Amino acid sequence: MKDSVTVTIPSHSKYLSMVRSIAEKMCRICGMADSETEDVKLAVDEACCNVIKHAYKGDTTNKIVVKFRAVRKGFEVIIEDSGLKADPAFIKGRDLDDVRPGGLGVHLIKRAFDVFEFDERKKTGNRLVLRRQL
Amino acid sequence: MDIEIRDYKGMKVIAPSGEIDMHSSPELRKILMQFVNEKAPVLFVDFKGVEYIDSSGIATFVEGLKGMMPYGGKLKFLHIPEGIMEIFSFSKLDKVFEIYVNINDAFKG
Repeated sequence: MKDSVTVTIPSHSKYLSMVRSIAEKMCRICGMADSETEDVKLAVDEACCNVIKHAYKGDTTNKIVVKFRAVRKGFEVIIEDSGLKADPAFIKGRDLDDVRPGGLGVHLIKRAFDVFEFDERKKTGNRLVLRRQL
Repeated sequence: MDIEIRDYKGMKVIAPSGEIDMHSSPELRKILMQFVNEKAPVLFVDFKGVEYIDSSGIATFVEGLKGMMPYGGKLKFLHIPEGIMEIFSFSKLDKVFEIYVNINDAFKG
């Protein structure tokens, strides 16, 4: 069986540290260097924060499913929710020269992953696919 | 995350430790903005014990800095671990925040 771990957490920020711990361990199992591991851990955290803030609008009674898996020459993270549909056209970070609070998370996600895309086959909620080449 | 508040030559040092994330950053924001609202002329933030920071933690400091600018306050960072410094550099905030190696340099700067 390929390396694969799935965790389901309530949509509450107090569970984010749990996701980060699993992300870190999966990165190590997949042989990633420390700096890569830190980048991926932060990116997964940011993606889950976005689910809590934007898909669930802060409602802590929902679920977030995070699946980590080793794929051919890469590492994939799939994050699913049942919240408001994200519109990829409106997902972009702020200009990094425009210093203001917020708008940094998307940059941190795209820094860590080569693929950042929403699976349009999911009818309700969102399925974000993140893939990093190894 | 824990937050220790220390005094240094009449100025405040905010020393968070552990992980600053979406869950813990509101507590940090509350303390930071309290000093900003009191118009603290200088605030030091000691990152020595910080193991992790996400964009919500960074946004908290950007908000603090923006709050201090109108009255000429200074927000000075010290002891930033390498991994966190890399995030500040990536987000170009190393050019925005005053960053020092230690509190002596920060005091003189």
